[in-house]
Amino acid sequence: MTKKVAVVGVGYTDFNSMTPEVSWKEFMYEACQKAYIDAGVDPREDIDSFITCSEDYWEGFSIFDEFVPDQIGAVLRPCCTVCGDGLYGLGNAYMQIKTGKMNIVAVEAHSKISDLLTFGDIGLFSYDPIFDRPVTGSVDRTHFAGIPSYEKNSPKPLVGKTNEKERIHPYFLAGLEMQNFLRKTGTTEEQCAKVVVKNKKNAFNNPNAEYEVNITIEDVMNSEYLFKPIKKLDISLNVDGAIAFVLASEEAVKKLDVEPIWLRGFGWSSETPWISTRSMDANYAMLASRMAYKMTDINNPRKEIDFAEVDDRFSYKELQHLEALGLAESGEAGKMLDSGDLDLNGSLPTNISGGSLGIGNCFEATGLQKALEVVIQLRGHGGKRQIEDVHTGISQSWRGIPSGSGAVAIFGR
Amino acid sequence: MTFYEKQTDPSSPMHWLGDMQADYLYPNGKAGDKLFKHIKENDTFLASKCINCSKIFFPPRLYCEDCFVEILEKDWFEIPSTGKIRLHTIVTINTYGEKLNEPKMIALIDIDNTDGALLGIIKTDNIDENLIGRKVEAVFKSKNQREGTLKDILYFKMR
Repeated sequence: MTKKVAVVGVGYTDFNSMTPEVSWKEFMYEACQKAYIDAGVDPREDIDSFITCSEDYWEGFSIFDEFVPDQIGAVLRPCCTVCGDGLYGLGNAYMQIKTGKMNIVAVEAHSKISDLLTFGDIGLFSYDPIFDRPVTGSVDRTHFAGIPSYEKNSPKPLVGKTNEKERIHPYFLAGLEMQNFLRKTGTTEEQCAKVVVKNKKNAFNNPNAEYEVNITIEDVMNSEYLFKPIKKLDISLNVDGAIAFVLASEEAVKKLDVEPIWLRGFGWSSETPWISTRSMDANYAMLASRMAYKMTDINNPRKEIDFAEVDDRFSYKELQHLEALGLAESGEAGKMLDSGDLDLNGSLPTNISGGSLGIGNCFEATGLQKALEVVIQLRGHGGKRQIEDVHTGISQSWRGIPSGSGAVAIFGR
Repeated sequence: MTFYEKQTDPSSPMHWLGDMQADYLYPNGKAGDKLFKHIKENDTFLASKCINCSKIFFPPRLYCEDCFVEILEKDWFEIPSTGKIRLHTIVTINTYGEKLNEPKMIALIDIDNTDGALLGIIKTDNIDENLIGRKVEAVFKSKNQREGTLKDILYFKMR
């Protein structure tokens, strides 16, 4: 059985706020072709298994896995879809290779979210329909009209037409969570604003980023409250992008002409979906990281990890996640940010890629975006944003509002 | 450059506009049914308690998520429809990103005598006030208008 698993190829599209000129299939083809060329493999001959990561409701059709094989070179080959973030796909690829049955496995995740015209309403579908969603002002049950017998007098379904202007945006839960984080840790709204300024500035050095901009803490603080204490600029904006990875066993790496980046540790965890009993802390990230540290033999993450790419889809999330990962004490992440520790030349460079605030929210591909940056940095391909002397990097993902699930992957040279 | 040629005329990409109708009948479940049938007739809530770890669930459930054991009917009991605000946020936009007619305060309310909480709308005169820790009580629809859903709770008001 192979002892080690490496990333041997990465491929990715540009990240754009909309991509009306390509279909999601062509988008996936582009990322995969680049990854296969990067790894020097032919998907029709060399790749033993293919994994995609997706969510049917984002895509707008059913049974996503059925639509997958052709555009990634997987027709009539072992192929499956993980309904989750890209890092989960990476973990599944790792496990498949560890079985000894697969030598080379491809993983793909993407966002084609600009194709979705009713993003907020689909977002509300992720809340419990019985115990949570009614509070958002979703349609009254009396107007439920999917089955003709429910609305005998109405020839057309009324769903979506009642109170639609008053249905609240699904991101409201992040407002509650941010308030919890600020109160528990003493972190300030200004410190969260500083995350936005840092990541959007970092994005200037990432040619693939979409939301780079020079702004000040005041700009963020003066942007309007949408889900108090969350302000407009605290929120990452949607972006389209596709990312593909090729992973290989230690034995297969020897036959390829590549510099392997080893996937050294992996962990994942899910909080209860019940808002009624879950903590508003990022326990999922804490537990996922402890699992990954154990596997990697990391006892002191603060010392042994050189840089981090963590989920920052809301500004406070970056600080909350750093603390959950044990890379900062509770209440310390904001201070590390203030003292420059999280900058390119700091002691723990964080989201140097620009993060989701700078690149954009790429949904199921978010975890792979974090992992991608770790691989780029460890390969020394960071260009203007290259961090000096890096050996070990951590990437962390969160499933997004309203979930409490996440994964962690640790890479080393 | 993945493909030989790319489009350069921004007016040329075309699309098909689809709509995805998704209507469901979501069963309340046994536990939910029991709660909502109770709420239809009463201004109080029900909770259920795990005999293994003593965790009291609201909304009540048939099983404990910590111990993975069933909660029996004898371990259900009535509780007041009151609680304390743990967290709150003010929402200003709808699902389309447009301004709501008026901002809405949504709170996570720790329900009294339980380990559970509920998302609720808070009606208050001063929406900018810090209301964390404040005691609230549920305001229900009149009994003849209740239909056995969470919407039978109109909002929460200060006690």
